Amino acid sequence: MIKIENLTKTYHSNGQTVTALNALSLTIDSGMFGLLGPNGAGKTTLMRILAGISLPTHGEVTVDGNNMGTEKGRMAVKASLGYLPQELGMYLELSAYQFVDYMAILKGMNDVTLRRQSVERSLEMVGLTEVSGRKIKGFSGGMKRRVGIAQALVNDPKLLIVDEPTAGLDPEERIRLRNLLVKLASNRIVLLSTHIVEDIGQTCQSMAVLAHGQVIFTGSPADLIHSASGHVWTLVSSSTEKPDHDLTVVSMLHLSEGIQYRLVGQSVDQYPQAQITPPGLEDGYVWLMKDHGHEVDVN
Amino acid sequence: MKKMDSLQYSLKTFRYDQLWLPISFCFLFMIVMLINRRPESYYLLSRVYLGVVIPLVGGVLSAYALLEDPTLELRFASPEPSSRLLLERVGQIFLISAFCAGIMQVFDAFVQVDLSALGNIWHIQLVWLIPSLALMGLGTCLALMGKNSLNGVICVSLIWLIELLLRGWFAQNSIGKYFLLFMGVLIPDSPSLEANQLVLFVFSWLLFSLSCILFNRQERYL
Repeated sequence: MIKIENLTKTYHSNGQTVTALNALSLTIDSGMFGLLGPNGAGKTTLMRILAGISLPTHGEVTVDGNNMGTEKGRMAVKASLGYLPQELGMYLELSAYQFVDYMAILKGMNDVTLRRQSVERSLEMVGLTEVSGRKIKGFSGGMKRRVGIAQALVNDPKLLIVDEPTAGLDPEERIRLRNLLVKLASNRIVLLSTHIVEDIGQTCQSMAVLAHGQVIFTGSPADLIHSASGHVWTLVSSSTEKPDHDLTVVSMLHLSEGIQYRLVGQSVDQYPQAQITPPGLEDGYVWLMKDHGHEVDVN
Repeated sequence: MKKMDSLQYSLKTFRYDQLWLPISFCFLFMIVMLINRRPESYYLLSRVYLGVVIPLVGGVLSAYALLEDPTLELRFASPEPSSRLLLERVGQIFLISAFCAGIMQVFDAFVQVDLSALGNIWHIQLVWLIPSLALMGLGTCLALMGKNSLNGVICVSLIWLIELLLRGWFAQNSIGKYFLLFMGVLIPDSPSLEANQLVLFVFSWLLFSLSCILFNRQERYL
């Protein structure tokens, strides 16, 4: 279990103090947990603290009882951690097998036979067995991402942290990766950070939304959807002028009778022809952000 | 077995420009010596390569050794101590410097250059070893301090140039003489040479220790 209490993280940038995380508290149990938020919300900072790379400025973070504020605690967590960073750098001259094998060595896997089996297993899990002998420099973006997942899995981690894993993947690869993560979450904590709402909806039982370094929602994706009930409408208009009046246009569709807008907001009193619509997860996210004063800039 | 595998991958992920640069300089000096055909200049060129060029190249390469690693974030998330990566990368550069110094000395023996003015075989090794360690420590430390490899390269090059241009002042100054990087090669018979080498060695050790502490603050480099 991951327990975060009053976590604050500040750093200095260009002579200014920036607060990346502000008195954040969160509890994460086994299974798949989604972390959603706009760019700059503090997701990557939180991931790095949980991976033992960054240190908390204030507050306490424990992972399976290990205090991440101490060197001993961080080392204990790192020994059973799988980590896929947002910006994944690799040794392009190595083959997929060699890269995963090297990462396994760095993770302290000493037994050669066991390590070989683990490398083969993790490459098989991501569907790269056939090309495991090929150099990474010849791989597509999606294949490199899969190598990244394989290295994260090679030590059979208790905690798997994946930061924006589906960025840049084609639809087929995204679905494959999501399914793999769900499968892996059956016996460990999988922490998925993303700004792609759909990825969370398709995979996570529980989630949190971060904005400006604070948690503004925790619950299930269904709870987030439910929170937007009564705040989502569709409006068909022949006018080319977008609806305003504090409404967020989530989507637009050109129809023969005009443009169909999907709107999220407090009320549509100015548009009597608007029809209330069941919300989706994206609507729930937009409504949550609006409700907390973080306007989603999509207009 | 793990150590062998680790070493094997360490070599496979080695950036070969770190090898070609010092070796190119080595061959360049050898070619200049052969073209020159003046045996009296052999000694001068050989000691310049050993005591002046090798340390500069080592310092510059050390500044580039760590922060340019593409897997830095993955390595920081592994239980391997950061200091091990530092020692591994800087150690490779040190071995290359030693290799180049060895090649030059073999070449010197081949063309019958007498390096005995620099002292015995051990003293000759100290001529390149001590300033190399000092500039490698400086390069690593300054790159980490500034969170930028180029900072380290510029600072190392400037310090090297200033010391070279003001070598007379350094040699005469009561404190400066202990920090003159090139005393072993320029004034091998100086009574302050041993103290100078000891000070530079301790200075290098302090710089590497500081580098380890700095590199352990992993989040600074991401």
